[in-house]
Amino acid sequence: MSEIKVDTLTGKTTAGDITVTSEGGAATQSLQQGLAKAWVNFNGTGTIATQDSLNHSSLTDHDTGKYSNTLVSAMSNANYAGNANGGQPGNRDCFALFPSTDANTTTTHRVRTTPSNSPDGNHDASVVMISIKGDLA
Amino acid sequence: MAGKIIADTLEHSTAGSIATNYVVNGSAKAWGHFTMSSTTARDSFNISSLTDDKTGIFTADYVSNMSSVNYSPSTGGTHRDAVSENGWVLAVQHAGSGADDMTTGELSLSAHNASSALVDTVQATFQIFGDLA
Repeated sequence: MSEIKVDTLTGKTTAGDITVTSEGGAATQSLQQGLAKAWVNFNGTGTIATQDSLNHSSLTDHDTGKYSNTLVSAMSNANYAGNANGGQPGNRDCFALFPSTDANTTTTHRVRTTPSNSPDGNHDASVVMISIKGDLA
Repeated sequence: MAGKIIADTLEHSTAGSIATNYVVNGSAKAWGHFTMSSTTARDSFNISSLTDDKTGIFTADYVSNMSSVNYSPSTGGTHRDAVSENGWVLAVQHAGSGADDMTTGELSLSAHNASSALVDTVQATFQIFGDLA
């Protein structure tokens, strides 16, 4: 058992690129590229509220089933990848769609939650979960 | 290679510690963001190429292959047109769908609108979790 106690990991050759060996040992990949850069779990009904998060500053409730998530640390561009899921236990299921428009910015993106039995409609979900992968600025 | 550290645990002074297998196993092995009508990714990681198989179906090929076909993709995306935000999330394509199956080297995804018809989404995103070869 070995243990490293450190507050910051920085690549020596390139600060933003630390290489890790794959599970099978046949490949290597960038540690930074594979990490989730932000995630949030929030209650999307009534007064929306963050339950837990990483790199998340605020939520905006635009309309029924339409939210914005704002990040603390910005992404390097608006072309990051993300996914979102939502649900409403005890009621009808919801799906969360990410992004809901073509208007992502480096710090803010929208999601839309829609019921599974009416995908063109919007519906507030009691839990919405978002994760973001991509490049931090 | 500038240097190599072999360790089982990383510990932060205040934020706790994590076993390094969570770092290796828990990191996304590939991700992409693109418009389905284009074969050029807006941004991606560990993706070598995109193939526009037909309307609403595309295939992404990896640079470094996965160790088995039992990895876990997650997807997101919405088709937006001038009329509304009609759309549907992406789905993983399986054998018999008319597109390539999910293999260690590639993944096919499809996008459907509210009527279950195939559509090219304006923004499609996906992430892959699992073990690299």
